[in-house]
Amino acid sequence: MAGNFWQSSHHQQWMLDKQDLIRDRQHDLSKLTEEEYQKIFNFFASIIQVLGEQLKLRQQVIATATVYFKRFYARNSLKCIDPLLLAPTCVFLASKVEEFGVISNSRLITTCQTVIKNKFSYAYGQQEFPYRTNHILECEFYLLENLDCCLIVFQPYRPLLLFVQDIGQDDQLSTYAWRVVNDSLRTDVSLLYPPYQIAIGALHIACVMLGKENLKPWFAELNVDMDKIQEIVRAIINLYEMWKNYDEKKEIQGLLAKMPKPCPAPQR
Amino acid sequence: MGDNFQNKTMAPVMMDYEFKIKTQNERSKVEDLFDFEGCKVGRGTYGHVYKARRKDGSDTKDYALKQIEGTGLSMSACREIALLRELKHPNVINLIRVFLSHTDRKVWLLFDYAEHDLWHIIKFHRAAKANKKSVMVPKGMVKSLLYQILDGIHYLHSNWVLHRDLKPANILVMGEGPERGRVKIADMGFARLFNAPLKPLADLDPVVVTFWYRAPELLLGARHYTKAIDIWAIGCIFAELLTSEPIFHCRQEDIKTSNPYHHDQLDRIFNVMGFPLEKDWEDIRKMPEHATLVKDFKRSNYQNCSLSKYMDRHKIKPDSKAFSLLQRLLLMDPNRRITSEQAMQDPYFSEDPLPTQDVFAWLSYSQQQPNERRPNEQTMRLMTQQNQVQANSHDHAANNAKRMRMSGPNQGNNNQGGGQQEFHQQQQMMYGGQQQGGGSQQQGNFQQRF
Ligand SMILES: Nc1ncnc2c1ncn2[C@@H]1O[C@H](COP(=O)(O)OP(=O)(O)OP(=O)(O)O)[C@@H](O)[C@H]1O
Ligand SMILES: [Mg+2]
Repeated sequence: MAGNFWQSSHHQQWMLDKQDLIRDRQHDLSKLTEEEYQKIFNFFASIIQVLGEQLKLRQQVIATATVYFKRFYARNSLKCIDPLLLAPTCVFLASKVEEFGVISNSRLITTCQTVIKNKFSYAYGQQEFPYRTNHILECEFYLLENLDCCLIVFQPYRPLLLFVQDIGQDDQLSTYAWRVVNDSLRTDVSLLYPPYQIAIGALHIACVMLGKENLKPWFAELNVDMDKIQEIVRAIINLYEMWKNYDEKKEIQGLLAKMPKPCPAPQR
Repeated sequence: MGDNFQNKTMAPVMMDYEFKIKTQNERSKVEDLFDFEGCKVGRGTYGHVYKARRKDGSDTKDYALKQIEGTGLSMSACREIALLRELKHPNVINLIRVFLSHTDRKVWLLFDYAEHDLWHIIKFHRAAKANKKSVMVPKGMVKSLLYQILDGIHYLHSNWVLHRDLKPANILVMGEGPERGRVKIADMGFARLFNAPLKPLADLDPVVVTFWYRAPELLLGARHYTKAIDIWAIGCIFAELLTSEPIFHCRQEDIKTSNPYHHDQLDRIFNVMGFPLEKDWEDIRKMPEHATLVKDFKRSNYQNCSLSKYMDRHKIKPDSKAFSLLQRLLLMDPNRRITSEQAMQDPYFSEDPLPTQDVFAWLSYSQQQPNERRPNEQTMRLMTQQNQVQANSHDHAANNAKRMRMSGPNQGNNNQGGGQQEFHQQQQMMYGGQQQGGGSQQQGNFQQRF
């Protein structure tokens, strides 16, 4: 819905406060460092991205799924629901909200199986994707409850395209900025800042990367809180810094092993 | 790796036991909170609707509980929840809360209860007319209804939500209470888009599936719904309010196909409107079913038909403001049909009588039994002045008191954590407070106009 962001549930309920976010992560951060926590999210964001691509979903839908995933764990510990189950559940729910054709249950499960086997064997080895349709459906109800039925998510892509138009169409710039927005899904910015600010932050980074000095006046004329934009830029740059010295293929198994996990019902 | 799961065959623990129990305990069940047994009021294509009361008596308001057809979160259920969750407008039905029943996987939606709907209101007037007890819908009431329908649709359209299924049965009107006589547009056709083909007609209440409000371009095979399609339906409803007859009434027995082309319905439209001239609808030639149209219809058969003649026969003068607005809503060419915004600016609305927020303000009598179950009877009562029980000021006060209470402990609470609370509490307060002159800009405009 291209409705009004300021009156949306996104703005009214899901613009979270940095301090609250840190507080709600206490449980997980007693077991993981902040960097480890971020790496785990980075990994599951990749799973969502690849699943979405395999299912031929638009980037907008993939982004929405990723935000559902982040919102759930913003309120809950990683141990509450296995993220390997929640990730496809988010994709499933987002596709129903945003797309026109339903993904059949069997296609979803088959895609999960092939994706885990072919693209993420470095994390799961010979393990098969362990869940079935009934797990996804049960999980979906919990997800919807935890999202408080807020399913419409505003993304930075539309404002980004509008800004690019305003600057004067520049394909290189828009392609770069678009990718930066995709990367931003691996940080907390979608929980903390309105999408138009994220779009500006992404444009800013793209300009720096492309050495486009001439856009400085355009930024200066924007009527936005530049401190916020700087915070967004910093969060994304931090992600790029982290990537520099990180080999996911080597580290992820250790991280997944360390991740807090669901506890079964006590045995009688 | 993989101490995620012990071995290949054993499924991992998907959900934490403590989390599951905690969520279960916090979750309220619809049947624990509401009484609704035996109170079915509606059976649509995609759900059952019950009239409900709170069990704990914390308020005595009526609610509508819609149980969505089937189990789990179908695509249409997802869309309905997603959009209704965001929509907040005095003339659009308000989704208060969603209940997910994990055991039987049923989805329940809780709405404010709207006592009346246009289908019953018009039906009553038609019956009265047949008995020569001429009780036309009062002019001011027609105008107020139309204005509020347009206001609600304008809000939906400006949020890029198309209704897709406007017809009298989906236009609800609030009964006694702080929102008395206010139009609530219900049942946005989320389902329509995703559940083709339609169920066979025989399975359904005749009110449910009808082609009477379908724009000519849909009948000629247009592939996409548009705002203009909603506007046509509003034009049909307007005409029906003015005359108490469905303007494009048509035999329906043979509507069993999922084919959009419908000969009899088009014939009926041309019989009222005349056959469209090329110059009035240039793109008609581009319609998928244009060839069939040319084959099936002869212009000469409709030589003497026109909207003004039709309306004149029903005592609506072609030089009246009502007629000229109707004509702009019922233009055959979807590109020329006016928008909801333009319609709201039409001189019809600035001419006396001015529209009112309470569409029933035009009935000097206004009482009804608060506990009636069947809306048609109530509507009849409302209209016939029977059972003029003493003014219901008591009920009114109770409702207001409840609204005040809502501003108490819950206010400012951010609805976080588990979907246990009701949506839009603050918004409701705003609407509730409207009578006292508060409200957002939206409200401000609304008020000014009336
Ligand atoms: N809030 C409400 N208050 C009172 N009655 C209601 C309310 N919502 C729905 N109803 C009644 O229930 C009927 C069916 O509801 P609704 O139209 O939402 O369901 P549906 O299955 O989508 O119907 P349709 O077949 O028209 O698409 C309505 O025609 C109306 O009579
Ligand atoms: Mg309906």
